[in-house]
Amino acid sequence: MTSLWENIFQPRENTQDTIFSTLKRIPVFEGLNARELLQIEKILHEREYRAEERIFLQGDPGLGMYIIVEGNVEIVSEPEQHLIAVLHDGDFFGELALLDESPRTATAQAQSPCRILCLVQSDLFDLIDRNPKLGVKILVQLARTIGERLKKTNEYVYELKKDREGSADRG
Amino acid sequence: MDNVVSRWLRILFVLGFVVALFFFMSAIADLVKIVIISSLIAYIMDPLAVKLEARGMGRGTATLIIFASLLSALVLAVIILLQPLSAEITSVQEGFTPDKTAVIIGKLDRFVTSKIAFLGIEQLDFSGKLQTLTVSFSDWIFSHILDAVSLVTHLVLIPFMVFFLLKDSRQMKKQMVKIIPNRYFEFSMNLIAKMDWQLGHYLRGQFLDALIFGFLSIGVLWLLGIKYFLLIGIFAGLANLIPFLGPIAGATPAIIIAIIDTGGLALAGSVVLSFAVMKLIDDTIIQPIVVSRSINMHPLLVLLAVIVGGKFFGILGMLLSVPMAGFAKVLLQESIENFRRYRLT
Repeated sequence: MTSLWENIFQPRENTQDTIFSTLKRIPVFEGLNARELLQIEKILHEREYRAEERIFLQGDPGLGMYIIVEGNVEIVSEPEQHLIAVLHDGDFFGELALLDESPRTATAQAQSPCRILCLVQSDLFDLIDRNPKLGVKILVQLARTIGERLKKTNEYVYELKKDREGSADRG
Repeated sequence: MDNVVSRWLRILFVLGFVVALFFFMSAIADLVKIVIISSLIAYIMDPLAVKLEARGMGRGTATLIIFASLLSALVLAVIILLQPLSAEITSVQEGFTPDKTAVIIGKLDRFVTSKIAFLGIEQLDFSGKLQTLTVSFSDWIFSHILDAVSLVTHLVLIPFMVFFLLKDSRQMKKQMVKIIPNRYFEFSMNLIAKMDWQLGHYLRGQFLDALIFGFLSIGVLWLLGIKYFLLIGIFAGLANLIPFLGPIAGATPAIIIAIIDTGGLALAGSVVLSFAVMKLIDDTIIQPIVVSRSINMHPLLVLLAVIVGGKFFGILGMLLSVPMAGFAKVLLQESIENFRRYRLT
């Protein structure tokens, strides 16, 4: 009898808990209370991918942000298939697509079986209409996250430039 | 070669499926009609629910408030309009009994017969034909709108469906998205968002426009002293959903009533002029304000849709065919565009 109840309720509780704890770790949702996180959870689409299954292709129109609950995702630059990064549980990618529909700059592909949450731009905009206060919180965090990534990219470009100038001087 | 064959087979399969679906739907036409009407009402009401949610209400409470307001408005409308409307319908159903009408039609009959005597037609029987027409029209109203069984079914089923479609639309969408294969997930979500954006504005605008035009027609016809102004006004508002033909179809009953009632063309002329002015106001003032988005359907496409809608679902089908044709057009257009953008072909 106990095992029957466990079978019915246990996985669901675990799933919910994992999703919640994953969402709490995402910078875009930082500072949100449990009620607000529940509203976010309601608009997320949970997807399961097999190993090597494509999530999106470089050049596809941006649709939204993906959050990895379980599994590894590789980000690959086409057409040379250059591996840019491997992302793990709790990582997120494609957040820029929450703001515009510009083409994806790389391909995302499951490296192992993955459970992924997707936040679609239109659902986020709908949430902003329904709950502007929560919408502002998310947008501010999103701007901060993108700003942070821009800072890191600038630093990276600066380092590259310095390296290039250094090697030119040596040459 | 194999690829080409399998691609053609897939296209054939999809086409076959669409045709089978169409025939299945026409077989359960009544249910389809109820589902379409309920979905349209729920879809049109959605922004209201969103506005209430923005004031801190839950979706359930928002839906309840909208529903309570709608029901109150409906009850109020029934109390105010039922008596004059049923009187009008009964009057139409009984036919145009006044002697004056019979005399006018008789005169018209003799006049036209004498002019076309060379064709060998001796009796046109306008009166009989008109009588049959009005009786069949009012029969249609009774069998389709006021028939007790269908009225009760519609009155119970439609609000029931609208309530749940409005309350649970998000969960329903989420559940439906779950069954989409990963390969088509982004494509489908993008398609849904694009269609929602295009159709939402179009349908809500059209609905509001029909409502305003209906009220305007009722007011103008009442001022002109046209009989059955409520019935004709409501019909004119609904007919306005059909571009080009709608205003003509809406004005025609009023013109006929005006001729029969007065025996002259003066009132009919006023009706024509009033409808022309109303259409002008509609095109230049009302539509640009309320219809923020047009989906540019070709007149021929609209006409075909209206004929097909009428063939399968009657007069209600004719009215529903315009938004349905809009839906089909946006679906096809955006699907083709998305197939290209997502390189799925």
